[in-house]
Amino acid sequence: MNPCYYACYIVYKVIVYDIIFYPPVYQFLIIPGLITAIIVAIFILWFERKAAAYVQMRYGPWEIAPRIGGAIQLLADLTRYAMQEIITPQTVDTLQYLLAPIVMVVLALLPLEAVPLTSVKPYFPIPSGYSLLVAVAFATLSPLFITMMGWASNNKFSITGSVRESFMITSYELISVLGLLTAAAMTRSYDLVKIVNLQMSGKWLGLINPIALFVVFIAVLMSTSGFPFEIPESESELVAGPFTEYSGLLYGLNMGGAYIRRWVFSILITLVFLGGWAPYRPTPGVITGYFIPSLIVSLKAVVIMGIMSFLRSVYGRYRLDQALGIAWEILIPLALLAFGIGLAEAYFGII
Amino acid sequence: MEVSTSNSRGIHLPGMEIAKASKNRYEVMIGPAHPGSGHMRIFVEVDGDIMVKVDPDIGFVHRTMEKLAEGRDWIQNIPLFERIAILDACNITLPYVRAVEKLLGIEAPERARYLRTLLCEINRVASHLYGMGIFGVFLGHSTLYMWGFGDREVFIDLAERLTGARLTHTYPVFGGVRRDIPDDFPEDARKATRYMRKRLNEYAKIFLNNPNIRSRLENVGVLTKNQAAELGLVGPNIRASGIKYDVRLNEPYEAYGDVDFEIPVFEEGDSLARAWARVEEIRQSLNIIDQVVTWLERNPRENFMHEKFWKTAPKLYKDVYEGKISYSPKYRIKLMPIFASLKVPPGKSFARVEAGRGEIVYYVESDGKNLPYRVRVVSPSFRNVIAFKYVMPGHRLMDLPAIYGSFDYFPPAFDR
Repeated sequence: MNPCYYACYIVYKVIVYDIIFYPPVYQFLIIPGLITAIIVAIFILWFERKAAAYVQMRYGPWEIAPRIGGAIQLLADLTRYAMQEIITPQTVDTLQYLLAPIVMVVLALLPLEAVPLTSVKPYFPIPSGYSLLVAVAFATLSPLFITMMGWASNNKFSITGSVRESFMITSYELISVLGLLTAAAMTRSYDLVKIVNLQMSGKWLGLINPIALFVVFIAVLMSTSGFPFEIPESESELVAGPFTEYSGLLYGLNMGGAYIRRWVFSILITLVFLGGWAPYRPTPGVITGYFIPSLIVSLKAVVIMGIMSFLRSVYGRYRLDQALGIAWEILIPLALLAFGIGLAEAYFGII
Repeated sequence: MEVSTSNSRGIHLPGMEIAKASKNRYEVMIGPAHPGSGHMRIFVEVDGDIMVKVDPDIGFVHRTMEKLAEGRDWIQNIPLFERIAILDACNITLPYVRAVEKLLGIEAPERARYLRTLLCEINRVASHLYGMGIFGVFLGHSTLYMWGFGDREVFIDLAERLTGARLTHTYPVFGGVRRDIPDDFPEDARKATRYMRKRLNEYAKIFLNNPNIRSRLENVGVLTKNQAAELGLVGPNIRASGIKYDVRLNEPYEAYGDVDFEIPVFEEGDSLARAWARVEEIRQSLNIIDQVVTWLERNPRENFMHEKFWKTAPKLYKDVYEGKISYSPKYRIKLMPIFASLKVPPGKSFARVEAGRGEIVYYVESDGKNLPYRVRVVSPSFRNVIAFKYVMPGHRLMDLPAIYGSFDYFPPAFDR
């Protein structure tokens, strides 16, 4: 064999199999990580604005690319954010102020390192035994830094916004954690691979236990400040909530952070309640065993994101105490009920 | 008291920080440059999330209108006073015109009275839609905002067809109005009212009957009948509290005595009732527009200006209006030259009308010169703004926009 050809083959193999499809890199950066998250954010933000525009009798994004309905609007916005000067006001705590958004985005992507996206063992980023628990635990980390942003900004809007954010987080993380762990009670396992494999027959947990799915859906919407629970960033009251003082790329990161968190939760919901890569059965091989199932999971998650963003045009904003009331008085009992139903279903062998 | 904050460089921006007022109480300044406050500042003292003391601090967009008016000709003051509330221009300037007419001892001819009523109602609808749109933004409901502002455009176009200007019409002038309706105006007006009636039902569906919005507005910012009367509120706000007070009803002016309409009154006095009052008022305004347009169609096109002024009009102007020369865009509408040197007999007079946001009062004093001696304006927003002080305490900070928007405040109107 030609040694040059062989060397090229080695390099190709290293790049494709050991770098691109090396699970931690692949999941963190490619699918469903950073790159996919950005593409999804571009699509979802466009969809959100177009859907709202349709209801509100206007065009929405248009001028930037009239032939495709302005679909790359967010790309233009991102470019602008990237080019803008990052202003650090004199009244802020510089280190925390600069660090918080970056750490938040990185931590927001972290749960993707814990979820298996295929049932083929070599492509697990971490051993999948407790993957659900680890992913949920990671998912609760990044909101802390939103609170930190508000505190470091030293501004009345930021502080009020971050206080609201922490209120919302304490109530709704609990619900989403409870709702997601219902699956563990139903399947007697924290292993996401096992949970997905159980759903292969079409008995998706979301169909068997729709209350849990509903509870998690609302909780995710609330904890990532989507409409109608866009309380921390309520524009007409708090300018941009915790992100008021930010500009340029850091502001872009902040805005993207909420979408990334919602994206990660959508992936988790897909895996836990909507059958993950079902009905596809992964087979060994990088394309059939890793690429295709991760794409299926991502597509299902995009649908969830789309449903979440459509609510914008219909609802207004809840008041903080009403939103918290919904959490503690309605959703937590519902989550407990869903947990009970899940246990009962597991006991009677429906799963 | 200076509160130490977590900033390392020792720089303070007092307005941007939350200051401690007393034990467990913090003062938050909302405005004047704030997306939710308009051009005014509100001092809010909060205890936790509850507002304890609310103090609206007006004056941020004060433009010394009353003083400026003393240096301008009588006719020049009409465009000036339009700037008080530019989206309600006809209603806002009408009492000034009426007050001066009283001093001049003339009265507008019947057709002019109907034309004024027409523009007043078009303005009222546009103004209410504007208010509703802003209200929607306050509650994070962007759809209502877009709908309100989009549908307002219909009525602004209507006003443009009638007067030639979208907002600053300067339509009512002493002795009448500037011009008559175009020939195809009645059709357009009927089309607009038909469209708006249909839309109002959709507004109710997506906003007023939306459970999410209802939970924000119901029993929030309740203003009892007594309180509303004591504070001297006006406009839809007082009618939402159960008091049937409307200048159009109590002291009919222009053509309001001849047209048929109802005054919607609500008993609840909360933010939701105030929003409903506006929607119902739009419905009544649409009825009035229909009636007035029908009247204008049936009656001959003559005398939209008092004879005293009309006889000084240039010949070309008269000929075009009487149909002797066909109209061409090169003929610019001009005012009668007599207005430029108009001297008003000495005296004091007073007039009021019901503007979109409530009763607006003008007191005009003349010493016989070509400038007014004194013009005093009491605008509806000025009379409504005091309600914030008494309605808001006890509510949560997030209720502030819900109450604020429901009063349909307009900062330039109370600052004058």
